[in-house]
Amino acid sequence: MSLTLVIGNKNYSSWSLRPWIAMTAAGIPFEEKLIPFETPEFRREAGPAAKVPLLIDGPIRVWESLAILEYLAERFPGAKLWPADIAARAHARAIASEMHAGFTALRGHLPVNFARKVMKRPLTPPVAADVARIEAMWGECRTRYGGPFLFGTSFGAADAMYAPVVSRLLTYDVDVSPATRATMDAVTALPAWRQWRDAGVAEPWVYAEDEVDWPQVHRA
Amino acid sequence: MSLTLVIGNKNYSSWSMRPWIAMKANDIPFKEVLIPLYLPGSKEEILKHSPAGKVPILIDGDQQVWESLSILEYLAERFPDAKLWPSDARARSHARSISSEMHAGFMALRTHCTMNLWLPPKPRPATHTPEVMENLARIETIWSDCRKRYGGPFLFGKTFGNADAMYAPVVARFRNYGLPVTAETRAYMDAVMALPAWREWYDAGMKETWIMRHNEPDWPLVRGKPVE
Repeated sequence: MSLTLVIGNKNYSSWSLRPWIAMTAAGIPFEEKLIPFETPEFRREAGPAAKVPLLIDGPIRVWESLAILEYLAERFPGAKLWPADIAARAHARAIASEMHAGFTALRGHLPVNFARKVMKRPLTPPVAADVARIEAMWGECRTRYGGPFLFGTSFGAADAMYAPVVSRLLTYDVDVSPATRATMDAVTALPAWRQWRDAGVAEPWVYAEDEVDWPQVHRA
Repeated sequence: MSLTLVIGNKNYSSWSMRPWIAMKANDIPFKEVLIPLYLPGSKEEILKHSPAGKVPILIDGDQQVWESLSILEYLAERFPDAKLWPSDARARSHARSISSEMHAGFMALRTHCTMNLWLPPKPRPATHTPEVMENLARIETIWSDCRKRYGGPFLFGKTFGNADAMYAPVVARFRNYGLPVTAETRAYMDAVMALPAWREWYDAGMKETWIMRHNEPDWPLVRGKPVE
């Protein structure tokens, strides 16, 4: 049975990127259904919580990026979306959850916007604290599991949860350590990453609330 | 090997309540370490247990797990007989979707109706903002849909599981802030509040003495009386 993933605009939707990049990087086939935000179709199609992403698998509908990743991990055990070792898996889930409900300062200040010209945006103290925590977390993962991804050589669910952060750090030219840069480089080198980014940059929709330079819209 | 759960104040810490009540209701033994929040030294004490600096934290030997939702996932794996997630894959995905929805959402409810067990229950209209009422409507839909599909009294049937644990603090918020809930919602709240685990948490919270002014909507009244 084939899977359908309902997503929002690629340029702006951080939540949609997570399951999309996890599935694409792991070679899990699916049909993509993109629904631009703020359209009547969006309200109608976006599932019980009126949110994207939404994964449809026959009669099953799974919403929330983290719950979709859990579902995929069960449905496709060969993709090894979570680490095989129980301790590493608990660690991966803890940081995935930390991302899922946290870092609100970072998310508010540096919205995902692939098409924006790379330009530095000064960080507020709460945003700087979020960046520091993420750098410490990524550094610990690479030390413990060897990199290049958070839990070793394959891109998994935890990496997928943080993929939008990679985009935020890049777009707003955030100063990071060489180790953090190496994690970002590993993610941006994925064909799945480039595929998403190229599609996002080509989209026509512009949303003022996600353009931090509004009324100016800077494009590369 | 025995488990330790590090939590915050029972009266106020909604995140801590989730794994605590899941474990108690399912007879998973653990040792509790309570760190009163927002006091001098609280943060340092928490950081000794977890780099994220937040409660709750589950310690299992040399393993530390933080974030309520990932602790519940860990417990589900570690204690499969507790059936913290439904055994059917479809129901399980449903339970995880609504748990995640709670974990990252309902910001208005969480901001305006902070958990406070000793707050005298009555309607507080100032906290019933349009956004809070939207959250209430969505949660009532989630609960009623689950109870219809899986038969109740809990969200996924007869046992109190991870999804119930994620929403347990919401039961307290609805009660203490007097939100106008349907009879059906009330029935679910009653099922949760009838658990011995709920009462044990509640009774311990009521005995606490640490007051967090920013979580007291009736300030300078606390527990219905002027603060001394």
